[in-house]
Amino acid sequence: MSDQILSSVVAAIAKQKRIDHDLITANSLLEELGVTSLDAITIVFDIEEEFDIEVPGDLLENLKSVQDIVDGITELTSAN
Amino acid sequence: MSRKVVITGLGSISALGHNTDDFWNALRNGRCGINPFQNIATDRLKVSIAAEVTAFYPEQHIPPKELPLFDRFSQFAYVAAKEAIADASLTEAQLTRAAVILGTCLGAEHTYDESYHCLYAEGKSRVHPLTAPKGMPSAAASQVSMQFGIKGPVFAVCSACSSAAHAIIQGHTMIQSGLVDVAIAGGSEAPLSLVLIKSFEGLRALSNDTCRPFSEDRSGLVLGEGAGMVVMESMDHASKRGANVYAELAGFGMSSDAGHITAPSVDGIAAAIGSALDHAGVSASEVDYINAHGTGTQANDIAETAAINKVFGHHASKLAVSSTKSMHGHTLGAAGGIELIATIRAIQDKVIPPTANFTKAGEGCDLDYVPNSAREMEVNVALSNSFAFGGLNAVLVVRSLA
Repeated sequence: MSDQILSSVVAAIAKQKRIDHDLITANSLLEELGVTSLDAITIVFDIEEEFDIEVPGDLLENLKSVQDIVDGITELTSAN
Repeated sequence: MSRKVVITGLGSISALGHNTDDFWNALRNGRCGINPFQNIATDRLKVSIAAEVTAFYPEQHIPPKELPLFDRFSQFAYVAAKEAIADASLTEAQLTRAAVILGTCLGAEHTYDESYHCLYAEGKSRVHPLTAPKGMPSAAASQVSMQFGIKGPVFAVCSACSSAAHAIIQGHTMIQSGLVDVAIAGGSEAPLSLVLIKSFEGLRALSNDTCRPFSEDRSGLVLGEGAGMVVMESMDHASKRGANVYAELAGFGMSSDAGHITAPSVDGIAAAIGSALDHAGVSASEVDYINAHGTGTQANDIAETAAINKVFGHHASKLAVSSTKSMHGHTLGAAGGIELIATIRAIQDKVIPPTANFTKAGEGCDLDYVPNSAREMEVNVALSNSFAFGGLNAVLVVRSLA
């Protein structure tokens, strides 16, 4: 499951930033990828749609890395 | 203080082409851009025609990273502004201090249509997170500002089908007052959503034949999409930088009917034309050509003709009056920009674009409408008329500097 989440997050970031998937790893920092706050909410929106979850706003404020997004979604999907 | 305001750049996108040369070549050849719908499902529509922008691939024009924030009306505004700015050969420094005033009747129609669809049709509990910044009616003005580094006064103007003309007037007053030297103004519209088409169907304003302004058998307007933007600047500024000057935007007139929400008023229209002539300091007999509002509805074409007769008297019969909406459709909040460009090119090329699809003059339509074929003619002074639901009238006066 977490592999699937990671690949979905990578795909969403790659789509939003129009960069190659290979440039994005779990350890990539969002800042280094040029992910702005507007990018982040768009990426999270794609993930919410794909996994049918609702990501709370306060969770968005603490995202630093790709892994942070994966962890947050893993938690939300397992709660379902 | 009076500063001459001149036009130094033109940019457009419409059913007649993605640039102004294509647009103008279509107009002077009387080519009609009204066709069966391509981009919208017609199964629930009573009408099946529009003047659509076709073969348009936004990713070929807009930086890919920026595209998610561009509604179709912002895409059109960007394309038209880019052409106008390039045409005027403005430098980065000149752009920095410029103004952008962009007219739109509807704003980001498609963005909201999609979000409403998510909520009401699909029953979703969320909409795309960029709906607000992509969807605000001033989004196109902001995108033009951001993409070209324009940091002066930037905002949108909304007065239904006179929006672009009012925006251009605002640019004129800013330049004349000395607030700015350069203004990029006009309008953009992408109105072909199901709800907007249904709204006009509901008013029984749409033709399903074609657009035949001033003809006896006219049956309404045909919706069109696109944008028309011009670069305006003070004559001094244009001269100093050796800019190519198309024509002088000699003046304008505005009025409100304070009457009916849809029915036009002869007196209201006449007041706007009359004050435009006064403001430009031209006499009625000096006017050679009027690019009419000419929507092809029964009400507009009779009222506009009566108003022209009222203002121009005997000279009315000597005027050439044409409606290019017969070819590019009614682009609502973009109309005043697109049609000003047609008017300027008529002056420059000494060719009056025709009223296409003309059959036989309708009752109460007794002017020279330049039917079906362009006319080679020297044009020294021309008007571009814009009238709107709600009785908001705006008339631009263009004068040749040749």
